[in-house]
Amino acid sequence: MQKVELMSPAGSFESLMAAIKGGCDAVYFGVEQLNMRARSTNNFTLEDLRKIAAIARENSIRTYITMNTILYDHDIQLMKKIVDAAKEEKIDAIIASDHAVMNYAKKMGMPVHISTQANVTNIDTVEFYASYADVMVLSRELSLMQVASIQKEIERRQVTGPSGHLVRLEIFAHGALCMAVSGKCYLSLHSHFASANRGACIQNCRRSYIVTDKDEGMEYEIDNEYIMSAKDLCTIPFLPEILQTGVSVLKIEGRGRSADYVYKTTLCYREAIDACFQNTYTEEKVNGWMETLSTVYNRGFWDGYYLGRKLGEWSENYGSVATKRKIYVAKGVKYFEKATIAEFYCESHSLSVGDDIMVTGPTTGYVETTVGELRVNGLPVNKVERGTSFTVGIPEKIRPSDKLYKVVENT
Amino acid sequence: MIQIVQQREKCIGCNACVEAAPNRWRMSKKDGKCTLVGGKDKKGYYILNTFDDEWEENELAARICPVKIIRVVKL
Repeated sequence: MQKVELMSPAGSFESLMAAIKGGCDAVYFGVEQLNMRARSTNNFTLEDLRKIAAIARENSIRTYITMNTILYDHDIQLMKKIVDAAKEEKIDAIIASDHAVMNYAKKMGMPVHISTQANVTNIDTVEFYASYADVMVLSRELSLMQVASIQKEIERRQVTGPSGHLVRLEIFAHGALCMAVSGKCYLSLHSHFASANRGACIQNCRRSYIVTDKDEGMEYEIDNEYIMSAKDLCTIPFLPEILQTGVSVLKIEGRGRSADYVYKTTLCYREAIDACFQNTYTEEKVNGWMETLSTVYNRGFWDGYYLGRKLGEWSENYGSVATKRKIYVAKGVKYFEKATIAEFYCESHSLSVGDDIMVTGPTTGYVETTVGELRVNGLPVNKVERGTSFTVGIPEKIRPSDKLYKVVENT
Repeated sequence: MIQIVQQREKCIGCNACVEAAPNRWRMSKKDGKCTLVGGKDKKGYYILNTFDDEWEENELAARICPVKIIRVVKL
């Protein structure tokens, strides 16, 4: 098995730092509006690029800009501006699906990855794109056998990218799947004039629907299943098989997800990948990772199309079935480094000794701990209520931009 | 009179408003976002007062905007 790169989503500075803490090798993110999460995330602006690149360099991770919407004539200038800025800030590659982006990036000497939106499903398409890109994200609808066969053919045919090296394959390892092939969906556009292919998907496929008999007006709720809402992809239970295909990059989906999701999924996949390479991957560990993964946002898990067993598994619920949920409690005030104690101001709910907590922020990323001791005005207390300043032991530095959440069972 | 307001910063450049009201909306090639023709910038909100005959097509533009950043009101 060759070394694989673990690529995590960074929809915000919080998630970027959380991904780094979780142990990612690379992050991908959108800049301005030309990406598939134009609606759902606080997209970074061109001004943020320098800071992101600096953080990435400091932490020795690679950075990729996602620019994979369909493009109109009026987008071309902005697209070029983003490619130019990416080159200047030494971003590692642009993830593209529109040929205009590939063409311009190639001209400018900016490396390109072919996005899953380009729907690469066979070796000849890989050959076609090889003059533009060294890395290609395969379509999410392929089975592992198909993935392995494409990888084998790349080696047999010696398909090389612009760098002169063999083309590397990337696949999705974890996160939301959608009912449409390679995300090319018209449902949201059809019902709400919100084009998924411009990053404005309103995710109405995630709702439950009723079928009406037109002759008699009878309504049927289909088996209480959310028939268009696929469960989330999770490959940890068969990660060794994934790695045996020879793919080079594993991507975690979720630029619209929060820092705790990014941290936990990155951490689990980091540990699982390392375990595969160290021959310490066991069923017991898999159970542990699955338990951790189920604590953060998910719609239930399935194997995607990789094992080719079922056509599709549909979610049984609207939204997340995570076993834990977070409740906002307090904002950061100050950190006393010597004592490793943090001061917070409680803005909502309450906090007690023994509560599990997490702190997220644009520089802090993600920190989790259990409340050991709470103090108000220097005196120990068992519980703090809204409107109080308090101190609590936190193992890492926190900042005024940070938020403290209580993590509780999701019942 | 009617008033059209656009929160321009959040525009994703999908071109829907231009299709609905081509005389009032124009895609900017500079940043790929839509510009309210004649609108005045008030802290990021572009505002324009105009005549009632533009109601129909701009109300449609507001309705089909995928990110709901256009508001049209009767003054």
